[in-house]
Amino acid sequence: MLALFTQPIDAARMIAVPKIDWLAIGPPVVLFTAALAIVLLASLLRGRSLQHDLDDWVVLCAFAGPIEFWLGRFSAIRYNHDVFSIIVMLAGIGSVAFAMGVSIVRKHTFAASLVIALAGVISAVAITVAQWNVVRTSGSFTSMAGAVAVDGMAVFVMGVVLVATVFGLLLGTSWIRREQLEGPEFLALLLLCATGMLVMASANDLIVVFVALEVFSIALYVMTAFDRHRIESQEAGLKYFLLGAFSSAIFLYGVALTYGATGSTNLVTIRESLTGLVGGDNGLLMVGFALMLVGLGFKVAAAPFHMWTPDVYQGAPTPVTAFMAGATKVAAFGALLRIFVGSFDLLQTDWRPAVYGLAIVSMIVGSVAAIVQTDVKRMLAYSSIAHAGYVLIGVQVATESNGGLGGTSAALFYLGIYMLMAVGAFAVIQVVGRARETDSSLDDYKGLARKEPVLAGLLTLFLLAQAGVPLTAGFVAKLTVFKAAVDAGQFQIALIGMLSATVAAFVYLRIVLSMYSGDEHGSATPVEGNRLTVDLPVRITISLTAALVLLFGVVPGWLLDVAEHATSILAG
Amino acid sequence: MTPLLGAVKITTEYYLAVGALMFTIGAVGLLIRRNTLIMFMCVELMLNAVNLTFVAFAKRLNDAHGQAIVFFTLVVAAAEVAVGLAIIVAIFRRRQGVTADDVDLLKG
Amino acid sequence: MNDYLPLVGMIALVIVFVLASFVASILLGPRNPNSAKQAAYECGIVPESEPAERFPVKFFLVAMSFIVLDVEIVFLYPFAMVMRGLGVFGLVAITIFVLVLLIPFAYLLSVGALAWGPVAQVIREIVPVRRTSVAVLDPALTEGTTGQAA
Repeated sequence: MLALFTQPIDAARMIAVPKIDWLAIGPPVVLFTAALAIVLLASLLRGRSLQHDLDDWVVLCAFAGPIEFWLGRFSAIRYNHDVFSIIVMLAGIGSVAFAMGVSIVRKHTFAASLVIALAGVISAVAITVAQWNVVRTSGSFTSMAGAVAVDGMAVFVMGVVLVATVFGLLLGTSWIRREQLEGPEFLALLLLCATGMLVMASANDLIVVFVALEVFSIALYVMTAFDRHRIESQEAGLKYFLLGAFSSAIFLYGVALTYGATGSTNLVTIRESLTGLVGGDNGLLMVGFALMLVGLGFKVAAAPFHMWTPDVYQGAPTPVTAFMAGATKVAAFGALLRIFVGSFDLLQTDWRPAVYGLAIVSMIVGSVAAIVQTDVKRMLAYSSIAHAGYVLIGVQVATESNGGLGGTSAALFYLGIYMLMAVGAFAVIQVVGRARETDSSLDDYKGLARKEPVLAGLLTLFLLAQAGVPLTAGFVAKLTVFKAAVDAGQFQIALIGMLSATVAAFVYLRIVLSMYSGDEHGSATPVEGNRLTVDLPVRITISLTAALVLLFGVVPGWLLDVAEHATSILAG
Repeated sequence: MTPLLGAVKITTEYYLAVGALMFTIGAVGLLIRRNTLIMFMCVELMLNAVNLTFVAFAKRLNDAHGQAIVFFTLVVAAAEVAVGLAIIVAIFRRRQGVTADDVDLLKG
Repeated sequence: MNDYLPLVGMIALVIVFVLASFVASILLGPRNPNSAKQAAYECGIVPESEPAERFPVKFFLVAMSFIVLDVEIVFLYPFAMVMRGLGVFGLVAITIFVLVLLIPFAYLLSVGALAWGPVAQVIREIVPVRRTSVAVLDPALTEGTTGQAA
């Protein structure tokens, strides 16, 4: 029977099949499998499941178990399978299996989904680490018929996206429990979204970039509109959907025109064919990559393509906003770097002025428009536009012959740090927002420092880091970007960046001052039961991000080193 | 007796022009129409214009890749339809009417 | 050729006339819009409230599910054309593809998106479904049961 399907009619009609390189596509495959497993579990257990029951020890097992397992695995490889490593590995497997088993037996669908999700994401992180080692020892490579590139930049972007996904899962868990929404579905969507971002990070073909862009965008539209208790969430979903689909279509038209001009969608082939086209007046190609820049500009929320950002950031559920700010920007900038710096660098005289302009407009619009806002989520949305501007500085100096690598690594470093700062800040905002996320205006933050000194202090840390205050990671990030610009002789844009950072600092200080000023309602002692609930997942997220923001602020060397080694873009 | 358009030979440029025209109609429609369902149809029009462009280029370049890409675009468009409809239906059930002007809770 | 000339002339005349009428009505017609006139169904009376509409979500649900599963064919057909040439690799690949689509299908069945009409009632009697597609789309129905968040 099988032979009927597989027997070729004659040898001449056999088609050469690509070899599947599991290491190269490992992280997205693992995440996608985890998402499918969650969907399957949710459909099998429906009707008899206890939706939101989730014990803290399950979260702990799900979070620590996979980490333990992979640490043990790596140490087993290094120390030649000594007993200690094996025990650590087994303990990891054991805790995951125990949490999983108990959750399924008790019909806690959501808890079981969380175990699967965290195991998947952390395993994907481990595969990324393995890829990093391969890239460092034997260099970048392409696989899957040239459609997937494994290089320093891809692995770095994947790592940042995966860490953001872990935080997104934790924040989402806490939020789902508070709002009593469909848990497994949310986790599956988050994983699908992350899958798209991972594919995008290593996509070496414009069509793969497009499909990945759509995979994560479509999942994000649904997650934005996920909160059915709040009409704002659905409105934000609709706005994001319409503008996102618009920008995707524009990007795709750019791909079509580029395909027409160069005869290929593979980024390496395009780069090779550009050598014959440079200097010529090729209108098709110019329009093509201009449209691609517009499309990606929408996704990274660079002004003037930022119209959706404030509305969507404000309306979306806060864990989704955190994930959007942290991961979407990184993935989209990864594609931007790969396409423009990697593949189109021969045409840099054409696209660099455009990116230069985008950077300046984003920094100014983001900083200035944030001043007049009264909603904290909206303020941070505008500030995320300004942050996109700082990253764009790095992108546009990346092709500079002197200090070009500085541009790429500065952009990547900035993105990594921004992810931590944004996720941390939105985590606190999620807690302060209370059920149904009613409390996000500046007035709701009055007197927070008295009621919740620790939370207020941590939010202050994240905001000061975003402002770029020394001894926080944000300072180092801004410094590397400005240094890259100055190294390339671009003093003007560095100056504009510093000025806009000063303006933006005012915005962050407004929030901080509001927290430390008195409560207008005059309630001196916080009423019991009025206290904010900070559950374990949020606790883990906030403390990890805060620790990393401080750590990279004091000793940034390690991450800077990684970012410097992540500048290899294969097409370039 | 010659056909009315007998002198004109249809080349790929014509298809590209039609594609560009459709894309523009879609883009302009999305920006100026206020009914979300029509805005939604405009997005589909834009994606299909790109499909036409891809096929035309594939014909001109004599390369099958361009035609294969259309499959992916079709699937993506279908997924967008499903998600878009779901969001529109969810909003529509909470308030009668789907014009974009009604969607005004988020401002600043 | 000459036989068709009147036809072409007629078409041109029609287009010119229609365009001219539109332009003329825009230029010459008096305009004093008010809310009653601008309403979608103008009858001179301002409606006090929008009529409560029966909105059959079920049709949308089936349409949405249909679109996604329908697109499967887009990939199955080219596969069928080159099935033998691809050998075992193709078979494995398409099996994974179909499996990936089957799991969401199982999900659709489990939320009750495809169970409606008489079938739904039978199913509801057999399996007590806590959450149906209606509940997913209509918060009002579930507000009492799942919305007790503080």
